[in-house]
Amino acid sequence: MAAKGEKHSPLEQFEIIPFTRTEIGGYDISFTNSSLSMIITVAVITLFLTLTVNARSLVPTRMQLISELMYNFVAQLLSDTVGDNGKKYFPFVFSLFMFVLIGNMVGMVPYQFTFTSHIIVTFALASVVFIGVTILGFVNHGIKFFTFFYIPGVPFYMHPLLIPIEIISYLSRPISLSVRLFANMLAGHTLLKVFAGFVVAMPFFTGALPLVFIVALTGLEILIAFLQAYVFAILTCLYINDAYHLH
Amino acid sequence: MVDEEKLQELKERIQTAKSTNTPQQKTKKESGAGFGFKISTEIIAALVVGVGIGLIVDKYLGTKPFGLIIFFIFGALAGFLNVYRVMRRIEKQ
Repeated sequence: MAAKGEKHSPLEQFEIIPFTRTEIGGYDISFTNSSLSMIITVAVITLFLTLTVNARSLVPTRMQLISELMYNFVAQLLSDTVGDNGKKYFPFVFSLFMFVLIGNMVGMVPYQFTFTSHIIVTFALASVVFIGVTILGFVNHGIKFFTFFYIPGVPFYMHPLLIPIEIISYLSRPISLSVRLFANMLAGHTLLKVFAGFVVAMPFFTGALPLVFIVALTGLEILIAFLQAYVFAILTCLYINDAYHLH
Repeated sequence: MVDEEKLQELKERIQTAKSTNTPQQKTKKESGAGFGFKISTEIIAALVVGVGIGLIVDKYLGTKPFGLIIFFIFGALAGFLNVYRVMRRIEKQ
C-alpha cells in the first residue's frame, strides 16, 4: 500500500467524498459516498427481503428462514416491551433495525463506507425516534404528558429539583442513543485500520500476528454491528412504551 | 412430495441443534467494556444536555456563570438518574 511517502491515516476511511456538487438554496445536498452507501443498504434490504420471501414456501429455504427470523426477532421485541399496542409500530422499528443492521454490515465490506460511523447520521435517526415518541406521547395523553416529568410520592419541596433533572434526562435520550451507535462503529473501524497498519509496518513475518488479530476483530465487529442495531431497536421500543405508560 | 424419511431426519437434526444451542443463548452476557461504555454514554449525554441548557440560559438571560453551574449540576444528577434506570432495567432481565 503506502507508496512514495503517501500517508494513510486510520481516520481516512471516514472522509466524505462528494461525487457531485449540488447546492439548493444554500444547502449542500451533494451525492456523496455516504449517500451511495445508504442507497446500497436500502437496495440490499429491499432485494433480500423481497427475493427470499417471494417463494412463500411452507418449508422455508435457508434464505427465507433468515428473513423470517429477522421479522420474528423484531416482532418479539415489540410484543415483549410494548405489548399489544406495539403492533402498529412494527414497520417503523423493523425499518430502523434493518437500516442500522445492514448499514453496519455493508460497512464491514472492505472499501465500503460506513455511514453509521458519522454522528450526524445516527443523531438524525435518533432525533426521528425522539421527536416521534414525543408527539406520540402528546397524542396519547394530551397535556397530561407533562406529568411524565412529575414523580409521584415525593415531598413537594423536592419537585423544583427533580423536574429539571427529569427533563434533562429525557432530552439526553437522543444523544445517548446516537453516541452509542456512532462511537462503537467509529472505534471498531479505527481499531481495524490501526492494526492493518501494524501488519505492514512490522518487520519480517511478525506482521502475521496483527493479521490474525484483525481476523478475530472482524468477527467481533460483526457481533457489535448486530448488537448495536439490537440496542437501537430495543431502546426505540422502550421509548414507545414510555409514550403509552407514563411511569 | 416430501420424503418422510428426510423429514424425520431433519426433525432429529433440529432437536439436537436445539439441545446444544439453548444453554449458550441463555448465558449471553455483555463484555465489561461494553457495559462500561453504555454507562459512560448515559452520563456524558446528560451532562452535554445540562451544559447546553446552561450555556443557552446564560446567553439569553445574562446570568453568566450561574446558569452553567446550576445546569451542570442538574446534568450530572440526570446522568446518575439515567445510570440508575439502566441498572434497574438490567436487573429486571
